Amino acid sequence: MAVKKYDNPDLEKKLHDTRYHSIDTNPEFTKKVLDISRTIANMCYQCGTCTGSCPSAPRSSYRIRLFMRRAVLGLEDEALTDPDLWLCTTCYSCTDRCPRDIAPTDVIMAMRNLAFKRDIIPRNFLKTAQLIYSTGHGVPNNDVNRAARVKLGLTADPPTTHSYPEFIPGIQKILNYFELKQNADRMLEGE
Amino acid sequence: MHEYAFFLGCIAPNRYPGCEAAAIKTSEKVGIKLLPLKGASCCPAPGAFGSIDLNVWYAMAARNVCLAEEMKKDITLICNGCYKSIYEVNHILKHNDDLKDRVNEVLAEIDMEFKGSQDVWHLAELYYDPKICGVQKIRDSVTTPLTGAKVAVHYGCHLMKPQKERHFGDTENPMWLEELVDALGCESVQYRNKMQCCGAGGGVRGYDITHSLDITNEKMINLQEVGADALTEVCPFCQLQFDRGQIEIQETFGVSYGLPILHYNELLGLAQGMSPQDLALDLHGIDCTPFLKKVL
Repeated sequence: MAVKKYDNPDLEKKLHDTRYHSIDTNPEFTKKVLDISRTIANMCYQCGTCTGSCPSAPRSSYRIRLFMRRAVLGLEDEALTDPDLWLCTTCYSCTDRCPRDIAPTDVIMAMRNLAFKRDIIPRNFLKTAQLIYSTGHGVPNNDVNRAARVKLGLTADPPTTHSYPEFIPGIQKILNYFELKQNADRMLEGE
Repeated sequence: MHEYAFFLGCIAPNRYPGCEAAAIKTSEKVGIKLLPLKGASCCPAPGAFGSIDLNVWYAMAARNVCLAEEMKKDITLICNGCYKSIYEVNHILKHNDDLKDRVNEVLAEIDMEFKGSQDVWHLAELYYDPKICGVQKIRDSVTTPLTGAKVAVHYGCHLMKPQKERHFGDTENPMWLEELVDALGCESVQYRNKMQCCGAGGGVRGYDITHSLDITNEKMINLQEVGADALTEVCPFCQLQFDRGQIEIQETFGVSYGLPILHYNELLGLAQGMSPQDLALDLHGIDCTPFLKKVL
């Protein structure tokens, strides 16, 4: 079979180089995603079952299959700076249907972890972290609810960190171990 | 009496206290005693914390499990989000020694150690499990059958998915929650795309509320099609998304459905003769009266 020739010698060289990587490619990114997600993202053959199962896909430009490809190709910047990364509801429909037994949802979670390391994260995530640091709860109690609880015969505050605040310093130690509060405060500074 | 440490989470005790009260009272009537898990925190939210740093998520969830290990009791809970965190982290750490060691390094700072000696269950699966309770026992506990109402079921995502990290089997068209609903005297109805997400998870509710509500709206359309009188679920976060979400859908898209949303424990409470006041149904965003008139 005749092989088509191109006039462009650079292109010719590129096409013959089976180890060619785009300059945007970072093979380390693929490894990191595999490591954090604990799933075999590199085995994806792009069938698209994931996108077909995704409740976010029909109402946005978010395509889980695209992120899987980015994981395989190591397109770090493209993956981590795409705002669609945060539209996964983590429903795991794609994971249950993947014919390659990959967990695309966990690939998304791994990419979000890596994005956070680069200070890319929606503010609502950080605010939840701050609330847990100060109260132990992501959704803390309030006065209306306290009154309702008492009417039901429950204690005004549930028997969690709300009633036992002596457990909060332990939680803060765990969060401090990962410097989560400091990072959240720094990124939300001035708000 | 089977005794369990009752992990509350955030939304049940702090937004829908009726779920908590109902769980404690209804379970006692079928031979399950719920003991308070003192000092428990947020599970922590799998969407928010898992997205920030999975290592924090593992450590924080492991801390909650450790509290139950000290009590020497298995954990039971009533929220799918909590189930995802507490069940899954317990499961992962039991089967991954490297990760367990890493988590224990963190927990050592607060003089705790994850041993992996206890299990985690959703209260709904205990209700269904004939070894603990079973559908017949639920049926026997009913004093006020909820006849004449069509109730649709929302399983939620994190209870049964991902399938290979769970023990529920089929996640495409499960029917066990319907059996539990039918046991209360009402009629469970099937609707299109039953297993679809409520739209709240993964931090999407906080990140892009319109997108999140659009997913919820699709479910509401499918529910309206089959004429459901109420929707029942086993996750207070899904409940929040459907209940408060309907008000937000009205504000954002200008459509209203008025579909009462009840946690399975609240439904069971009604069937066991608890009054709507005992369940704080007045705290719900959507008025439950049309449903109550039909069944009581």
